[in-house]
Amino acid sequence: MKRNGVQLILILLGAAFVFVMLILPLITVMTYALRQGWETFAEAITDDYAVKALKLTGFSTVITLAVNTAFGVFASWAIAKFAFRGKQVLTTLIDIPFSISPIIAGLIFILVFGRIGWAYPLTESLGVKVVFAVPGIVLATIFVTFPFISRELIPLMQAQGNEEEEAAALMGAKGLKIYRRITLPHIKWALLYGVILCTARAMGEFGAVSVVSGHLRGKTNTLPLHVEILFNEYKLTAAFAVSSILVVTAIIIMILRNIVEYKLKKEEG
Amino acid sequence: MYVELKNLNKRFGNYQAADGVSFSIEKGKLVGLLGPSGSGKTTILRMISGLEQPDSGDIFIDGVRVNDLPAAKRGVGFVFQNYALFRYMTVFDNIAFGLTVQKKDKAFIRARVTELIRLIGLEGLEKRRPHQLSGGQKQRVAFARALAPNPHLLLLDEPFAAIDAKVRKELRSWLRETIGKVGITSVFVTHDQEEAVEVADDIIITNNGRIEQIGSPVDIYRNPKTPFAAQFIGTSIRIPEYWKLHGYEKTPGFEHAVVRPEFVLVSKIEKEQYPVTSKRGVISGIFFRGNAMELNIDVNGLHLTSNQSLDEAAFAVGEEVSVLIYRLYIYNETEVRLVENSSIKSDGTFFI
Amino acid sequence: MPKRAMGTNTGRSIRRRRNQVIPGFGLSMGVTIFMLSLIVLIPLASVFVVLSGATPQEIWKAITDPQTVSTYKVSFACAGIASVVNVVFGILLAWIITRYKFPLRRVLDGLIELPFALPTAVAGISLTTLYSDKGWIGGFFAKFGVMISYTTIGITIAMIFIGIPFVVRSIQPVLEKLDPQYDEAASVLGASKARIFFKIIFPEITPAALTGFGLAFARAIGEYGSVVFIAGNIPWKTQITPLIIKSKLEQFNYTAATSIALVMIIFAFCVLFGINTLQARINRIAQG
Repeated sequence: MKRNGVQLILILLGAAFVFVMLILPLITVMTYALRQGWETFAEAITDDYAVKALKLTGFSTVITLAVNTAFGVFASWAIAKFAFRGKQVLTTLIDIPFSISPIIAGLIFILVFGRIGWAYPLTESLGVKVVFAVPGIVLATIFVTFPFISRELIPLMQAQGNEEEEAAALMGAKGLKIYRRITLPHIKWALLYGVILCTARAMGEFGAVSVVSGHLRGKTNTLPLHVEILFNEYKLTAAFAVSSILVVTAIIIMILRNIVEYKLKKEEG
Repeated sequence: MYVELKNLNKRFGNYQAADGVSFSIEKGKLVGLLGPSGSGKTTILRMISGLEQPDSGDIFIDGVRVNDLPAAKRGVGFVFQNYALFRYMTVFDNIAFGLTVQKKDKAFIRARVTELIRLIGLEGLEKRRPHQLSGGQKQRVAFARALAPNPHLLLLDEPFAAIDAKVRKELRSWLRETIGKVGITSVFVTHDQEEAVEVADDIIITNNGRIEQIGSPVDIYRNPKTPFAAQFIGTSIRIPEYWKLHGYEKTPGFEHAVVRPEFVLVSKIEKEQYPVTSKRGVISGIFFRGNAMELNIDVNGLHLTSNQSLDEAAFAVGEEVSVLIYRLYIYNETEVRLVENSSIKSDGTFFI
Repeated sequence: MPKRAMGTNTGRSIRRRRNQVIPGFGLSMGVTIFMLSLIVLIPLASVFVVLSGATPQEIWKAITDPQTVSTYKVSFACAGIASVVNVVFGILLAWIITRYKFPLRRVLDGLIELPFALPTAVAGISLTTLYSDKGWIGGFFAKFGVMISYTTIGITIAMIFIGIPFVVRSIQPVLEKLDPQYDEAASVLGASKARIFFKIIFPEITPAALTGFGLAFARAIGEYGSVVFIAGNIPWKTQITPLIIKSKLEQFNYTAATSIALVMIIFAFCVLFGINTLQARINRIAQG
């Protein structure tokens, strides 16, 4: 294709938009993080509270991944492999968290487990604190990322049809063997793709977690919440230093995502 | 009787896929279930295999009622329309799958798979993945995979539908031969009458979830029992108001008629044999069909087809010819009759 | 396992219609419904449980409270403008990514996902700093007396940031499927480039662009992390609806918080329904 004037203008316009809207914020994070030198940067990210926040973020991300992967595997099997009434309704219900504001996601867990919540007496008697505690953070994170993995698996498994599984079942293979030998090889990249998207969102979730966390430093503070506190205390350098951890992780995730997407396209094509 | 279906019914929503289906299959036969798409033939096959459960009716295999037997316990091999080869396994692993599920020992599996690979003539391709195979090769692997666990009954769903026309013919005779060699009772589904006629010992014609006729290909061709069978097997052309043709009278209760190409005799006007009964027509098209010529003739707006052997006198498009229809199938909703041209009969001559 | 529990009429019809040989229907459906109920449906139902304890007047008062209404205006206006901007640049970006070859095209394509991958709080503080009167861009505009951070302009910019991938990713697959021969055919017939775009390409991508608009709009309305910092939360001026829910909650005014949440949920469902209808139409076009 020959390059003409219009093409060049369009490309430059697109590139300018991406530079201003997407790249400049990244550069901002990095320059502010390092503007007082490496020492201040290192201090900020090895700060006790920052490390604790990082651990909590890691913990809640891992639990979220485990729960949502389990859900994605079972839900995609039920929805893609069987015909039943109400399938459309079920898929719509699964997608609900996707369309709900994170603030509302946090709110509903306050309404269930908070002081006015109907489950409060129950958790109280069990001695478990949910709201303003780690379980609430984990629950809210699971909620906002709930459909991520099943959404990747269901369309792919539906497109692949049932014949291979039927053939295996006809020869007497049991459920687990069919899943491991026949289904899983088909969906492994899609599953990984879903896991990556889910990780990115779980790690960075802010709104829902901020509602249920209570912001107790060192206890219920995740990394994004820690960034918020630092920023509101005008500790800009520290806030951006901690942010830079999240930015680097996000970039790694994006690169992984692209690799997996490439593999996925190759498998499908 | 080896396989017996008694009054099977199956409904999907508003679609009656099987409507009182009953038939039986002798041991060792190769049977074709033939019908247009949506006629319920695949559903019947899936019910025999256990992939689908009938709403009512009984299925017997080797004298045992198998309705409540899980599909895997019925001793049935199934070849899927698109083969359903396991894409992430090699040819060897595909064929071995059923045996590994049965936890047979390694040496036995190796021997059995090697034997089957030899049977299907794919030696050397054991390590290939399905996507590295041609359509015909995939079909052979699917066939071997179904045979590996030694089933007593082999079911094939549209076995040639996904294969190029060129390879299809060769694969048909291969499949027929190989099934004969293995000696397994087999049922295959097809919508292609040519395929059914060529491959099957017996044909079962399905339509709208019902069985129309069962019999050998020749038998069905010669004596179609239902209007559907008469029209579905062979090339048939509908004749409106057949009683207006010379030599035919209206049989009460029979409104419709069809004619086959071999019932139509076309000759040069100067060689006309039955001047009274013959009609004049114009050749509207001539097509070479490999071993014969197909003639299209326009007889006062009625478009007929006839086959002409290659060594007979050549015709030209636009040529006026003499056309004789010496037989017809007449039918109503339920019955088919073969009627001869009365003027030929009275003449006392009968040819061919 | 849940077979026994499903001995009802619907249960039987589910069993009859399901696939006969593939195992695991009961187990997978059981786990799916169990987890869905526990994590999504039951918590969400609490909205209705809480509101059932309030009178309709209370609810109505909460959702029509003048300060709350001012947040709707801010949220809707900013989200609307942001989504329009996103549709324009979304089409542009999708177009250059699918149709042109240029250096770093794949990087550009990958960068579109950044707002999905970047934690919203990080995006929030970064945009706030960048567009504040001391920031690189904000500083430039401040010379002309234009403030961006802590104004509705800032909110709109954050919403553009968060919404752009939705539009690009909705349009891109349609453009990829659209056969280039299609517009080549038109150009052979002598149509100008602009004419080809507006007469041939644009109608094809309109449903996808609308879907992208809807998704970006819904996301912008609900978005919290990337918007809250740059908004500055000035009541009557730059307060967005998710923020007022949070402040009502911090004042322990559960009824008001939940009532406003219900408004947002209903709105989100309407958008989702509209998108699904559009999507069904797109699929029909794509298939036939």
